[in-house]
Amino acid sequence: MELTLKEKRSASSSLMKKNIRKFLNNRLAMIGLIFMLILLFMCVFAPLFTSYDAETVDFTAMRAAPSREHIFGTDRLGRDIFARILYGGRVSILVGVVGAFSGSLIGMVLGSIAGYFGGKIDALLVRISELFQTFPQMVLILIMVAVLGQGLENLLIIFSLTGWMTTFRMVRNEFLSLKEETYVKVCEAFGMSKMSIMFGQILPNVMSPVIVATTVNVAGFILQEASLSFLGVGVPTTIPTWGNILNAAKSIDVVTNYWWLWLIPGLVITIFVLAVNFFGDGLRDVLDPKQQ
Amino acid sequence: MLKFIVKKLLQMIPMLLLISFIVFVGLQFTGIDPIYYMISPDMAANTDNIEALRELYGFNDPLLVRYFRWLGDLLQGNFGYSIVSGSSIKTVIAQRLPATLELSAFALVLSTIIGITIGIISAIKQNGIIDYIGRVFAVVGQAIPQFFFGISMILIFAIKLGWFPTAGRMSPEGVGFGDRLWHLVLPGVTLTLSMCAVLMRYARNTMLGVLNSDYIKTARSKGIPEWKVYLKHGFRNAMRPVLVILCFRLPMLIGGSVVIEEVFAWPGIGTILTQAVVSGDYPVILVTTLMVAAAMLVASFLVDVLTALLDPRVRIGE
Repeated sequence: MELTLKEKRSASSSLMKKNIRKFLNNRLAMIGLIFMLILLFMCVFAPLFTSYDAETVDFTAMRAAPSREHIFGTDRLGRDIFARILYGGRVSILVGVVGAFSGSLIGMVLGSIAGYFGGKIDALLVRISELFQTFPQMVLILIMVAVLGQGLENLLIIFSLTGWMTTFRMVRNEFLSLKEETYVKVCEAFGMSKMSIMFGQILPNVMSPVIVATTVNVAGFILQEASLSFLGVGVPTTIPTWGNILNAAKSIDVVTNYWWLWLIPGLVITIFVLAVNFFGDGLRDVLDPKQQ
Repeated sequence: MLKFIVKKLLQMIPMLLLISFIVFVGLQFTGIDPIYYMISPDMAANTDNIEALRELYGFNDPLLVRYFRWLGDLLQGNFGYSIVSGSSIKTVIAQRLPATLELSAFALVLSTIIGITIGIISAIKQNGIIDYIGRVFAVVGQAIPQFFFGISMILIFAIKLGWFPTAGRMSPEGVGFGDRLWHLVLPGVTLTLSMCAVLMRYARNTMLGVLNSDYIKTARSKGIPEWKVYLKHGFRNAMRPVLVILCFRLPMLIGGSVVIEEVFAWPGIGTILTQAVVSGDYPVILVTTLMVAAAMLVASFLVDVLTALLDPRVRIGE
């Protein structure tokens, strides 16, 4: 018994080593990971990188162009853009990560139920997921904003309610084939509870594509947050986020004369999302080689 | 086939009812009291009057009664009134819908042509220069916020170069077709490019799958010219799933270009929806949502019919 456990461990660790090596050799994925981590680090430890605060108003330096004092310039209230990007990044990234994770959680639970039990409950859940998926996502989110009201917590709820469908589908389809496997039949014969078979035995085997989908959703939700805040229905304007910083670009005067107010935050979002996507593609190559 | 179509059509009705009911009930929880939009602030102090008005307009009736009254009105062609501006929703939609249709149809057609062409060329000449450019474009296109891209277009082509107007659908003086087209180019191209990425990727992958299949090898081994293999055998089979994807994009014709409309101040349905959400104008939200839902159901109906036409197994299975 002891021996087999050891063997098992060494086998899994060598697979892991192989996977890590494969990932390390993927140049784009590594670049993505590095950029992602650098930006994340700078946002989390923002006070280390800037002496300015995201909220401090300075009427002596309104809409100042980038200079040595304010490397990315200041906005219409004289707030330092660099500081706002770092502090805003905290909220934007948090929204993306929490939204994607809770969406995946809903998708995993519903997908397990639909796939394992099948029948009417499966048909119903599939129908609901199709309904959610065919609605243009932006319209769906807007309706939910109208129902729940504007706010950071509500936005997180909305993102998890609109981001569960891909995970649901993947988990359900995997469950449909996995529940016929011998090991599931054995567990059932042993009299294990349905809950522990579903979540303890089958679910761990479908985690790889779920992790990949969640990563992709993080990037998607960061973009959605930016769009919603640009429209003025996302995170309340009192909280700095990447979208709220870009909201300034609604005025044609800003677009024409004050490029640093919108070009820099826009590029930061693009770079971060690009990095997450590269990282996600790399993960997919390693974890889920079937789906490419 | 007729039976299949009728059955699918009949299935749409309960769905539409369900969606409208869910949104109707959901919007009751927003805590907006429409009565305060109907009266002047100095009248709001007199609570008796407010109660009387509530009774008059039937706001105190049970939820189901209100829902069916609203539905009945809707079926008779009475879409209700905006509680913010007081204008008839029907008139507003009649004014705004053409703008959205124009913009979306432009983008739909253009992105289909570009996306499918590039996708198929990249599949045929895999790892060629077009494939490479297309892939870079798709990756970057998925990472740029749509509105940020739109703003950059405005800065470059409208402000710096002055080739196109910065916003709007037509100039106050010019009403000709040329003027319309001139205004349409920037928002249309922005929307096109954001739609292209997905379509391109999809067309490329389907075509690659088709080109690796056995019947293509058979066709080649029979000595059929290469272009004929691609067009007659490859393209036709690759088009089925691509057509399906296209139908799923139809709901966009009504509500999918919300962000682009805002960036270019395009007077369409998307801007109405955004304004309605910002101001809590729930009758407007209700009607626009229902329109998107209807478009969505029609689209999925088309998908069903199309797949049934292309693949007899679906018909028999039903």
